Amino acid sequence: MNILVACKIVPDDQDITVASDGSLDSSRAHEIVSQYDLNAIEAAAQLKEANEGSTLKAISVGPKKADDSKTKKDILSRGVDELYLMADDSLADLDSRATATELAKLVNKAGDWDVIIVGDGSADDYAKQTGVQLACALDVPYVAGATNLSFQEGNLEIQRNLESESEDIELAVPAVVSVSPEIAEPRIAGMRDILKAGKKPQNVEAAEEKPEESIETVSIKAPKQADRKQEVFDASDGEGLDKFVSAVKEVL
Amino acid sequence: MNAFVLAETENGARELCAGARQIADEVTLFTFGNAVTGVADKCLHLQIPEDAIADDAYPSVNESFDASGAKVVLAEPTVRVTNLAGRLAAHANTAAVPGVNALKDGVATSVYFGGTGVKESKPETDVSVYLISAGTFDGTQATGTDTVEEVEFKAPEKLAVKKGTAALPKSDIDLASADKIVACGRGFAKEEDLQLARDFASKIGAEVACSRPLSEGVNWFPREAYVGVSGAVVKPDVYFAVGISGQMQHMVGCNDSGTVIAINSDKNAPIFKQCDVGIVGDLKDVLPALTKAL
Repeated sequence: MNILVACKIVPDDQDITVASDGSLDSSRAHEIVSQYDLNAIEAAAQLKEANEGSTLKAISVGPKKADDSKTKKDILSRGVDELYLMADDSLADLDSRATATELAKLVNKAGDWDVIIVGDGSADDYAKQTGVQLACALDVPYVAGATNLSFQEGNLEIQRNLESESEDIELAVPAVVSVSPEIAEPRIAGMRDILKAGKKPQNVEAAEEKPEESIETVSIKAPKQADRKQEVFDASDGEGLDKFVSAVKEVL
Repeated sequence: MNAFVLAETENGARELCAGARQIADEVTLFTFGNAVTGVADKCLHLQIPEDAIADDAYPSVNESFDASGAKVVLAEPTVRVTNLAGRLAAHANTAAVPGVNALKDGVATSVYFGGTGVKESKPETDVSVYLISAGTFDGTQATGTDTVEEVEFKAPEKLAVKKGTAALPKSDIDLASADKIVACGRGFAKEEDLQLARDFASKIGAEVACSRPLSEGVNWFPREAYVGVSGAVVKPDVYFAVGISGQMQHMVGCNDSGTVIAINSDKNAPIFKQCDVGIVGDLKDVLPALTKAL
Protein backbone atom coordinates (compact mmCIF):
# COMPACT_ATOMS: atom_id res chain seq x y z
CA MET A 1 0.00 0.00 0.00
CA ASN A 2 1.02 3.62 -0.47
CA ILE A 3 1.07 5.59 2.74
CA LEU A 4 1.42 9.32 3.32
CA VAL A 5 2.12 10.87 6.69
CA ALA A 6 1.52 14.55 7.34
CA CYS A 7 3.69 16.26 9.93
CA LYS A 8 4.24 19.77 11.18
CA ILE A 9 7.63 21.35 11.76
CA VAL A 10 7.45 23.70 14.74
CA PRO A 11 9.83 25.68 16.94
CA ASP A 12 10.94 23.65 19.95
CA ASP A 13 8.86 25.08 22.78
CA GLN A 14 11.77 24.55 25.17
CA ASP A 15 13.56 27.33 23.25
CA ILE A 16 10.65 29.79 23.26
CA THR A 17 11.36 32.75 25.49
CA VAL A 18 9.18 35.55 26.82
CA ALA A 19 10.15 39.05 25.71
CA SER A 20 9.88 41.99 28.11
CA ASP A 21 6.57 43.08 26.55
CA GLY A 22 5.05 39.66 27.30
CA SER A 23 5.21 38.45 23.70
CA LEU A 24 6.70 35.06 22.84
CA ASP A 25 9.99 34.91 20.99
CA SER A 26 10.68 31.77 18.99
CA SER A 27 13.30 33.35 16.71
CA ARG A 28 16.12 31.43 18.36
CA ALA A 29 14.22 28.17 18.70
CA HIS A 30 15.35 25.02 16.91
CA GLU A 31 12.93 23.58 14.39
CA ILE A 32 11.65 20.13 15.33
CA VAL A 33 8.93 17.74 14.25
CA SER A 34 5.87 18.39 16.40
CA GLN A 35 5.90 15.83 19.22
CA TYR A 36 2.79 13.78 18.45
CA ASP A 37 3.61 13.79 14.73
CA LEU A 38 6.61 11.60 15.61
CA ASN A 39 4.12 8.99 16.84
CA ALA A 40 2.24 9.37 13.55
CA ILE A 41 5.44 8.85 11.54
CA GLU A 42 6.23 5.75 13.62
CA ALA A 43 2.71 4.34 13.18
CA ALA A 44 3.00 4.95 9.44
CA ALA A 45 6.44 3.31 9.30
CA GLN A 46 5.13 0.26 11.18
CA LEU A 47 2.16 0.02 8.81
CA LYS A 48 4.57 0.16 5.89
CA GLU A 49 6.81 -2.52 7.40
CA ALA A 50 3.82 -4.78 8.07
CA ASN A 51 2.69 -4.60 4.43
CA GLU A 52 5.43 -5.72 2.07
CA GLY A 53 6.01 -3.54 -0.97
CA SER A 54 4.51 -0.44 0.67
CA THR A 55 5.82 3.08 0.28
CA LEU A 56 5.82 5.89 2.84
CA LYS A 57 6.09 9.55 1.93
CA ALA A 58 5.93 12.49 4.34
CA ILE A 59 4.17 15.76 3.53
CA SER A 60 4.56 19.03 5.42
CA VAL A 61 3.66 22.69 5.06
CA GLY A 62 5.34 25.50 6.97
CA PRO A 63 7.35 28.73 6.99
CA LYS A 64 10.72 29.06 5.24
CA LYS A 65 12.60 27.96 8.35
CA ALA A 66 10.79 24.62 8.26
CA ASP A 67 13.18 23.87 5.38
CA ASP A 68 15.76 22.84 7.96
CA SER A 69 18.27 20.19 6.90
CA LYS A 70 18.49 18.51 10.29
CA THR A 71 14.71 18.29 10.68
CA LYS A 72 14.21 16.99 7.14
CA LYS A 73 16.84 14.33 7.78
CA ASP A 74 15.13 13.48 11.05
CA ILE A 75 11.86 12.78 9.22
CA LEU A 76 13.61 10.70 6.56
CA SER A 77 15.54 8.65 9.15
CA ARG A 78 12.31 7.24 10.60
CA GLY A 79 11.30 4.84 7.86
CA VAL A 80 10.05 7.54 5.47
CA ASP A 81 11.11 7.09 1.81
CA GLU A 82 10.55 10.57 0.43
CA LEU A 83 9.62 14.05 1.65
CA TYR A 84 7.33 16.66 0.10
CA LEU A 85 7.71 20.00 1.87
CA MET A 86 6.16 23.34 1.01
CA ALA A 87 8.19 25.94 2.90
CA ASP A 88 7.36 29.60 2.50
CA ASP A 89 6.89 32.46 4.93
CA SER A 90 3.39 33.01 3.55
CA LEU A 91 2.60 29.58 5.03
CA ALA A 92 3.54 30.47 8.64
CA ASP A 93 0.94 29.83 11.35
CA LEU A 94 -1.86 28.82 8.99
CA ASP A 95 -5.21 27.77 10.40
CA SER A 96 -6.34 24.17 9.90
CA ARG A 97 -8.38 24.82 6.78
CA ALA A 98 -5.59 26.70 5.00
CA THR A 99 -3.06 24.05 6.10
CA ALA A 100 -5.29 21.31 4.71
CA THR A 101 -5.70 23.17 1.42
CA GLU A 102 -1.91 23.34 1.02
CA LEU A 103 -1.36 19.76 2.18
CA ALA A 104 -3.92 18.60 -0.39
CA LYS A 105 -1.73 20.16 -3.11
CA LEU A 106 1.23 18.10 -1.89
CA VAL A 107 -0.96 14.97 -1.71
CA ASN A 108 -1.75 15.43 -5.38
CA LYS A 109 1.95 15.70 -6.19
CA ALA A 110 3.00 12.69 -4.12
CA GLY A 111 1.40 10.14 -6.45
CA ASP A 112 -0.99 7.29 -5.65
CA TRP A 113 -1.94 6.90 -2.02
CA ASP A 114 -4.22 4.69 0.06
CA VAL A 115 -4.06 6.28 3.48
CA ILE A 116 -2.87 9.55 4.98
CA ILE A 117 -1.85 9.34 8.61
CA VAL A 118 -1.81 12.46 10.77
CA GLY A 119 -0.85 13.04 14.41
CA ASP A 120 -3.18 13.69 17.32
CA GLY A 121 -2.64 17.45 17.35
CA SER A 122 0.23 19.85 16.78
CA ALA A 123 2.39 21.31 19.55
CA ASP A 124 1.29 24.89 18.92
CA ASP A 125 -2.50 24.96 18.56
CA TYR A 126 -3.27 21.28 19.36
CA ALA A 127 -6.39 21.82 17.26
CA LYS A 128 -7.00 18.23 16.11
CA GLN A 129 -8.54 19.82 13.02
CA THR A 130 -6.02 19.51 10.18
CA GLY A 131 -6.75 15.81 9.58
CA VAL A 132 -10.50 16.28 9.31
CA GLN A 133 -10.08 19.38 7.12
CA LEU A 134 -7.71 17.41 4.88
CA ALA A 135 -10.28 14.61 4.60
CA CYS A 136 -12.86 17.25 3.58
CA ALA A 137 -10.48 18.79 1.04
CA LEU A 138 -9.86 15.36 -0.50
CA ASP A 139 -13.45 14.15 -0.02
CA VAL A 140 -12.51 10.94 1.78
CA PRO A 141 -13.57 9.35 5.10
CA TYR A 142 -11.82 10.29 8.32
CA VAL A 143 -11.35 8.45 11.59
CA ALA A 144 -9.61 10.09 14.54
CA GLY A 145 -7.78 8.74 17.54
CA ALA A 146 -6.54 5.34 16.32
CA THR A 147 -4.72 3.36 19.00
CA ASN A 148 -4.18 0.44 16.63
CA LEU A 149 -4.06 0.38 12.86
CA SER A 150 -3.62 -2.46 10.36
CA PHE A 151 -4.40 -3.18 6.73
CA GLN A 152 -6.37 -6.37 6.10
CA GLU A 153 -7.97 -7.57 2.86
CA GLY A 154 -7.93 -4.13 1.37
CA ASN A 155 -9.43 -2.34 4.38
CA LEU A 156 -8.01 -0.44 7.32
CA GLU A 157 -8.80 -2.02 10.67
CA ILE A 158 -8.80 0.64 13.36
CA GLN A 159 -9.19 0.56 17.10
CA ARG A 160 -9.75 3.81 18.91
CA ASN A 161 -10.65 5.09 22.33
CA LEU A 162 -13.43 7.57 22.89
CA GLU A 163 -14.01 9.18 26.29
CA SER A 164 -15.52 6.08 27.91
CA GLU A 165 -15.61 3.35 25.27
CA SER A 166 -13.44 1.85 22.57
CA GLU A 167 -14.51 1.20 18.99
CA ASP A 168 -13.39 -1.32 16.35
CA ILE A 169 -13.77 0.25 12.94
CA GLU A 170 -13.32 -0.98 9.39
CA LEU A 171 -12.56 1.67 6.83
CA ALA A 172 -12.16 1.41 3.07
CA VAL A 173 -9.24 3.26 1.52
CA PRO A 174 -8.51 5.94 0.51
CA ALA A 175 -8.94 7.60 3.89
CA VAL A 176 -7.34 9.96 6.39
CA VAL A 177 -6.64 8.57 9.88
CA SER A 178 -5.37 10.48 12.90
CA VAL A 179 -3.51 8.42 15.45
CA SER A 180 -3.38 8.71 19.21
CA PRO A 181 0.16 9.20 20.62
CA GLU A 182 -0.02 5.83 22.41
CA ILE A 183 -0.23 3.95 19.07
CA ALA A 184 3.54 3.78 18.68
CA GLU A 185 6.62 5.00 20.52
CA PRO A 186 8.84 6.97 18.08
CA ARG A 187 12.01 5.09 17.15
CA ILE A 188 15.47 6.36 17.87
CA ALA A 189 17.12 6.46 14.47
CA GLY A 190 20.49 4.73 14.20
CA MET A 191 23.56 6.26 12.58
CA ARG A 192 22.95 4.19 9.44
CA ASP A 193 19.37 5.46 9.14
CA ILE A 194 20.55 9.03 9.52
CA LEU A 195 23.26 8.60 6.85
CA LYS A 196 20.76 6.95 4.52
CA ALA A 197 18.25 9.74 5.17
CA GLY A 198 20.60 12.26 3.57
CA LYS A 199 20.36 10.43 0.27
CA LYS A 200 16.56 10.12 0.16
CA PRO A 201 14.59 12.38 -2.20
CA GLN A 202 13.43 15.72 -0.83
CA ASN A 203 10.97 17.81 -2.80
CA VAL A 204 10.98 21.31 -1.35
CA GLU A 205 8.98 24.07 -2.96
CA ALA A 206 7.65 27.55 -2.26
CA ALA A 207 3.97 28.41 -1.97
CA GLU A 208 2.07 28.89 -5.21
CA GLU A 209 0.10 31.73 -3.63
CA LYS A 210 -0.75 32.88 -0.14
CA PRO A 211 -3.61 30.70 1.04
CA GLU A 212 -6.83 32.24 2.25
CA GLU A 213 -7.11 32.15 6.02
CA SER A 214 -10.31 31.88 8.05
CA ILE A 215 -9.00 32.84 11.49
CA GLU A 216 -7.23 36.04 12.42
CA THR A 217 -4.70 35.87 15.25
CA VAL A 218 -5.39 38.85 17.51
CA SER A 219 -2.52 38.33 19.97
CA ILE A 220 -0.12 35.75 21.37
CA LYS A 221 1.24 36.46 24.81
CA ALA A 222 2.87 34.64 27.69
CA PRO A 223 0.33 33.54 30.30
CA LYS A 224 0.08 35.43 33.55
CA GLN A 225 2.10 33.44 36.06
CA ALA A 226 0.30 32.57 39.25
CA ASP A 227 1.92 34.45 42.09
CA ARG A 228 3.51 31.75 44.24
CA LYS A 229 5.36 32.16 47.53
CA GLN A 230 8.33 30.01 46.43
CA GLU A 231 9.33 29.06 49.97
CA VAL A 232 11.86 26.34 49.14
CA PHE A 233 13.73 24.22 51.68
CA ASP A 234 16.71 21.93 51.18
CA ALA A 235 16.64 18.43 52.66
CA SER A 236 20.44 18.40 52.85
CA ASP A 237 20.30 21.22 55.42
CA GLY A 238 19.98 19.71 58.87
CA GLU A 239 16.49 21.06 59.59
CA GLY A 240 15.28 21.49 55.98
CA LEU A 241 13.04 18.45 55.98
CA ASP A 242 11.46 19.27 59.35
CA LYS A 243 10.78 22.84 58.30
CA PHE A 244 9.23 21.62 55.07
CA VAL A 245 6.99 19.16 56.93
CA SER A 246 5.84 21.96 59.26
CA ALA A 247 5.11 24.23 56.30
CA VAL A 248 3.05 21.48 54.63
CA LYS A 249 1.18 20.85 57.91
CA GLU A 250 0.26 24.51 58.00
CA VAL A 251 -1.17 24.35 54.46
CA LEU A 252 -3.21 21.22 55.18
CA MET B 1 -28.60 35.88 15.84
CA ASN B 2 -28.85 32.10 16.10
CA ALA B 3 -26.29 29.77 17.63
CA PHE B 4 -25.80 26.05 16.98
CA VAL B 5 -24.46 23.86 19.78
CA LEU B 6 -22.87 20.49 19.01
CA ALA B 7 -22.48 18.30 22.10
CA GLU B 8 -22.64 14.67 23.12
CA THR B 9 -22.65 14.76 26.93
CA GLU B 10 -25.37 16.35 29.04
CA ASN B 11 -22.86 18.48 30.90
CA GLY B 12 -21.32 19.66 27.63
CA ALA B 13 -24.76 20.49 26.24
CA ARG B 14 -25.65 22.50 29.36
CA GLU B 15 -22.45 24.52 29.46
CA LEU B 16 -22.36 25.27 25.75
CA CYS B 17 -26.05 26.16 25.59
CA ALA B 18 -25.55 28.53 28.53
CA GLY B 19 -22.65 30.12 26.64
CA ALA B 20 -24.62 30.26 23.40
CA ARG B 21 -27.49 32.01 25.21
CA GLN B 22 -25.12 34.87 26.12
CA ILE B 23 -24.35 35.58 22.48
CA ALA B 24 -27.44 34.50 20.55
CA ASP B 25 -31.21 35.05 20.63
CA GLU B 26 -31.96 31.53 19.57
CA VAL B 27 -30.08 28.37 20.51
CA THR B 28 -30.30 25.06 18.65
CA LEU B 29 -28.71 22.04 20.30
CA PHE B 30 -27.64 19.10 18.17
CA THR B 31 -26.73 15.91 20.02
CA PHE B 32 -26.24 12.23 19.29
CA GLY B 33 -26.05 11.47 23.02
CA ASN B 34 -29.19 11.59 25.14
CA ALA B 35 -31.55 14.43 24.25
CA VAL B 36 -31.22 17.30 26.74
CA THR B 37 -34.23 19.48 27.42
CA GLY B 38 -34.58 22.86 29.09
CA VAL B 39 -31.27 24.15 27.79
CA ALA B 40 -31.97 25.25 24.20
CA ASP B 41 -34.91 26.50 22.13
CA LYS B 42 -34.82 23.22 20.29
CA CYS B 43 -32.91 20.00 20.80
CA LEU B 44 -32.17 18.08 17.62
CA HIS B 45 -31.47 14.47 18.48
CA LEU B 46 -29.87 11.93 16.19
CA GLN B 47 -29.62 8.22 16.89
CA ILE B 48 -26.41 6.80 15.42
CA PRO B 49 -27.03 3.45 13.69
CA GLU B 50 -25.29 0.58 15.44
CA ASP B 51 -22.82 -0.08 12.64
CA ALA B 52 -21.89 3.58 12.03
CA ILE B 53 -19.58 5.96 13.84
CA ALA B 54 -20.96 9.28 15.08
CA ASP B 55 -18.27 11.11 13.11
CA ASP B 56 -20.10 10.07 9.95
CA ALA B 57 -23.24 11.93 11.00
CA TYR B 58 -21.80 15.02 9.35
CA PRO B 59 -24.25 15.19 6.41
CA SER B 60 -27.12 15.34 8.94
CA VAL B 61 -25.26 17.83 11.16
CA ASN B 62 -24.40 20.12 8.26
CA GLU B 63 -27.95 20.02 6.92
CA SER B 64 -29.42 20.84 10.35
CA PHE B 65 -26.92 23.65 10.73
CA ASP B 66 -27.90 25.14 7.37
CA ALA B 67 -31.58 24.92 8.31
CA SER B 68 -30.97 26.62 11.67
CA GLY B 69 -29.61 29.77 10.03
CA ALA B 70 -26.97 29.97 12.79
CA LYS B 71 -23.76 31.90 12.29
CA VAL B 72 -22.01 30.70 15.44
CA VAL B 73 -21.21 27.11 16.41
CA LEU B 74 -20.12 26.07 19.89
CA ALA B 75 -18.82 22.49 19.98
CA GLU B 76 -17.82 20.16 22.80
CA PRO B 77 -14.23 18.92 22.39
CA THR B 78 -14.88 15.17 22.60
CA VAL B 79 -13.24 12.94 19.98
CA ARG B 80 -16.35 12.61 17.84
CA VAL B 81 -17.75 16.12 18.19
CA THR B 82 -14.31 17.56 17.39
CA ASN B 83 -14.50 15.74 14.06
CA LEU B 84 -18.07 16.80 13.39
CA ALA B 85 -17.07 20.39 14.17
CA GLY B 86 -14.23 20.07 11.64
CA ARG B 87 -16.57 18.71 8.97
CA LEU B 88 -19.05 21.51 9.73
CA ALA B 89 -16.31 24.16 9.61
CA ALA B 90 -15.15 22.89 6.20
CA HIS B 91 -18.76 22.85 5.02
CA ALA B 92 -19.13 26.50 6.10
CA ASN B 93 -15.79 27.48 4.51
CA THR B 94 -14.03 28.18 7.76
CA ALA B 95 -11.71 26.61 10.33
CA ALA B 96 -12.74 25.76 13.88
CA VAL B 97 -11.05 27.74 16.66
CA PRO B 98 -9.67 25.07 19.03
CA GLY B 99 -9.18 24.90 22.79
CA VAL B 100 -11.30 27.92 23.63
CA ASN B 101 -11.46 28.77 27.35
CA ALA B 102 -12.94 32.27 27.06
CA LEU B 103 -15.07 33.92 24.41
CA LYS B 104 -15.86 37.62 24.21
CA ASP B 105 -17.15 39.61 21.22
CA GLY B 106 -16.16 36.79 18.90
CA VAL B 107 -12.55 36.78 20.16
CA ALA B 108 -11.56 33.39 21.56
CA THR B 109 -8.81 32.77 24.10
CA SER B 110 -6.95 29.48 23.67
CA VAL B 111 -3.93 27.72 25.10
CA TYR B 112 -0.89 28.02 22.79
CA PHE B 113 2.12 25.71 22.78
CA GLY B 114 0.76 23.77 25.69
CA GLY B 115 0.43 26.82 27.88
CA THR B 116 3.71 28.50 26.94
CA GLY B 117 1.44 31.15 25.47
CA VAL B 118 -2.12 32.40 25.38
CA LYS B 119 -3.57 33.02 21.94
CA GLU B 120 -6.47 35.30 21.10
CA SER B 121 -8.05 34.70 17.73
CA LYS B 122 -11.16 35.61 15.80
CA PRO B 123 -12.75 33.97 12.77
CA GLU B 124 -12.97 36.34 9.80
CA THR B 125 -15.50 34.21 8.02
CA ASP B 126 -19.28 34.42 7.78
CA VAL B 127 -19.61 31.48 10.18
CA SER B 128 -17.60 31.05 13.39
CA VAL B 129 -16.93 27.60 14.87
CA TYR B 130 -15.46 27.30 18.36
CA LEU B 131 -14.38 24.17 20.26
CA ILE B 132 -15.09 25.11 23.86
CA SER B 133 -13.18 23.57 26.77
CA ALA B 134 -15.17 22.17 29.70
CA GLY B 135 -15.82 24.69 32.45
CA THR B 136 -15.77 27.76 30.18
CA PHE B 137 -19.47 28.50 30.78
CA ASP B 138 -21.75 27.86 33.76
CA GLY B 139 -24.13 25.06 32.79
CA THR B 140 -26.61 25.93 35.54
CA GLN B 141 -27.43 29.14 33.64
CA ALA B 142 -28.83 27.25 30.64
CA THR B 143 -32.48 27.87 29.82
CA GLY B 144 -34.78 26.54 27.13
CA THR B 145 -37.79 24.55 26.05
CA ASP B 146 -38.59 20.84 26.13
CA THR B 147 -38.82 20.61 22.34
CA VAL B 148 -36.97 17.60 20.94
CA GLU B 149 -36.89 16.79 17.23
CA GLU B 150 -35.50 13.56 15.86
CA VAL B 151 -33.06 13.95 12.99
CA GLU B 152 -32.46 11.21 10.45
CA PHE B 153 -28.97 9.75 10.03
CA LYS B 154 -27.95 10.49 6.45
CA ALA B 155 -24.97 8.35 5.59
CA PRO B 156 -22.15 9.95 3.63
CA GLU B 157 -21.23 8.30 0.35
CA LYS B 158 -18.17 6.64 1.85
CA LEU B 159 -18.38 5.76 5.50
CA ALA B 160 -16.66 3.81 8.23
CA VAL B 161 -18.15 0.54 9.53
CA LYS B 162 -18.30 0.11 13.28
CA LYS B 163 -17.69 -3.55 14.01
CA GLY B 164 -17.70 -3.47 17.75
CA THR B 165 -17.54 -1.38 20.86
CA ALA B 166 -16.45 -2.03 24.42
CA ALA B 167 -16.62 0.01 27.58
CA LEU B 168 -13.20 1.28 28.61
CA PRO B 169 -12.25 0.11 32.08
CA LYS B 170 -13.95 2.58 34.36
CA SER B 171 -11.41 4.53 36.23
CA ASP B 172 -11.97 5.30 39.87
CA ILE B 173 -9.86 8.39 39.46
CA ASP B 174 -11.79 11.57 40.01
CA LEU B 175 -9.38 14.44 39.64
CA ALA B 176 -11.99 17.06 38.78
CA SER B 177 -13.60 17.04 42.21
CA ALA B 178 -10.51 16.22 44.28
CA ASP B 179 -9.53 18.90 46.78
CA LYS B 180 -6.05 17.42 47.22
CA ILE B 181 -3.92 15.84 44.50
CA VAL B 182 -0.54 14.12 44.73
CA ALA B 183 0.95 14.14 41.22
CA CYS B 184 3.92 11.93 40.34
CA GLY B 185 6.46 12.61 37.63
CA ARG B 186 9.64 11.29 36.12
CA GLY B 187 11.42 11.60 39.45
CA PHE B 188 9.96 8.19 40.27
CA ALA B 189 12.64 5.86 38.94
CA LYS B 190 10.77 2.63 39.64
CA GLU B 191 7.09 1.77 39.54
CA GLU B 192 7.23 0.30 43.04
CA ASP B 193 8.30 3.71 44.40
CA LEU B 194 4.82 5.00 43.53
CA GLN B 195 3.61 3.21 46.66
CA LEU B 196 5.26 6.01 48.66
CA ALA B 197 3.01 8.53 46.90
CA ARG B 198 -0.05 6.31 47.30
CA ASP B 199 0.61 5.88 51.03
CA PHE B 200 0.97 9.61 51.47
CA ALA B 201 -2.13 10.36 49.38
CA SER B 202 -4.22 7.89 51.31
CA LYS B 203 -3.05 9.42 54.60
CA ILE B 204 -4.21 12.91 53.63
CA GLY B 205 -7.22 11.83 51.50
CA ALA B 206 -5.78 12.91 48.16
CA GLU B 207 -6.17 11.55 44.64
CA VAL B 208 -3.00 10.34 42.92
CA ALA B 209 -2.24 11.79 39.47
CA CYS B 210 0.77 11.91 37.18
CA SER B 211 2.58 13.84 34.49
CA ARG B 212 2.43 12.68 30.89
CA PRO B 213 5.52 10.42 30.78
CA LEU B 214 4.15 8.17 33.53
CA SER B 215 0.89 7.69 31.65
CA GLU B 216 1.84 7.64 27.98
CA GLY B 217 5.51 6.77 28.30
CA VAL B 218 5.68 3.89 30.78
CA ASN B 219 1.97 3.17 31.33
CA TRP B 220 2.19 3.24 35.09
CA PHE B 221 -1.05 5.24 35.19
CA PRO B 222 -4.25 5.28 33.13
CA ARG B 223 -4.61 8.33 30.92
CA GLU B 224 -7.33 9.82 33.15
CA ALA B 225 -4.65 10.34 35.77
CA TYR B 226 -2.49 12.52 33.59
CA VAL B 227 -2.49 16.25 34.35
CA GLY B 228 -1.36 18.57 31.59
CA VAL B 229 -2.18 20.26 28.36
CA SER B 230 -3.71 17.29 26.56
CA GLY B 231 -4.80 15.63 29.80
CA ALA B 232 -6.74 16.78 32.83
CA VAL B 233 -6.83 20.40 33.94
CA VAL B 234 -7.33 20.43 37.70
CA LYS B 235 -7.96 23.03 40.40
CA PRO B 236 -7.54 21.35 43.80
CA ASP B 237 -6.96 23.31 47.01
CA VAL B 238 -3.56 21.65 47.39
CA TYR B 239 -1.44 20.18 44.60
CA PHE B 240 1.66 18.16 45.42
CA ALA B 241 4.06 17.94 42.45
CA VAL B 242 6.39 15.08 43.32
CA GLY B 243 9.33 14.41 41.01
CA ILE B 244 7.76 16.74 38.45
CA SER B 245 10.13 19.19 36.81
CA GLY B 246 7.47 21.84 36.16
CA GLN B 247 7.43 22.08 32.37
CA MET B 248 4.74 24.34 30.96
CA GLN B 249 2.95 21.38 29.39
CA HIS B 250 2.31 20.00 32.84
CA MET B 251 1.82 23.25 34.74
CA VAL B 252 -0.99 24.44 32.48
CA GLY B 253 -2.95 21.53 33.95
CA CYS B 254 -2.50 22.63 37.58
CA ASN B 255 -1.78 26.39 37.50
CA ASP B 256 -5.12 27.25 39.06
CA SER B 257 -4.53 25.08 42.13
CA GLY B 258 -4.83 26.80 45.50
CA THR B 259 -1.41 25.87 46.92
CA VAL B 260 1.33 24.12 44.94
CA ILE B 261 3.84 22.06 46.94
CA ALA B 262 6.93 20.73 45.15
CA ILE B 263 9.28 17.86 45.95
CA ASN B 264 12.21 17.47 43.58
CA SER B 265 15.83 16.38 43.83
CA ASP B 266 16.96 18.92 41.22
CA LYS B 267 17.32 22.33 42.81
CA ASN B 268 17.18 23.94 39.35
CA ALA B 269 13.85 22.34 38.42
CA PRO B 270 11.46 25.03 37.11
CA ILE B 271 8.78 23.76 39.51
CA PHE B 272 10.51 25.63 42.36
CA LYS B 273 9.66 28.95 40.67
CA GLN B 274 6.01 27.90 40.44
CA CYS B 275 5.37 26.50 43.91
CA ASP B 276 4.32 27.97 47.23
CA VAL B 277 6.27 25.50 49.33
CA GLY B 278 9.05 23.27 48.04
CA ILE B 279 11.85 21.00 49.11
CA VAL B 280 14.99 20.01 47.30
CA GLY B 281 15.37 16.38 48.28
CA ASP B 282 14.91 12.72 47.45
CA LEU B 283 11.21 11.84 47.26
CA LYS B 284 12.09 8.52 48.90
CA ASP B 285 13.07 10.41 52.04
CA VAL B 286 10.53 13.23 51.87
CA LEU B 287 7.32 11.27 51.18
CA PRO B 288 7.72 8.82 54.10
CA ALA B 289 8.56 11.74 56.39
CA LEU B 290 5.35 13.50 55.34
CA THR B 291 3.26 10.34 55.67
CA LYS B 292 4.62 9.82 59.15
CA ALA B 293 4.17 13.40 60.31
CA LEU B 294 0.66 14.06 59.02
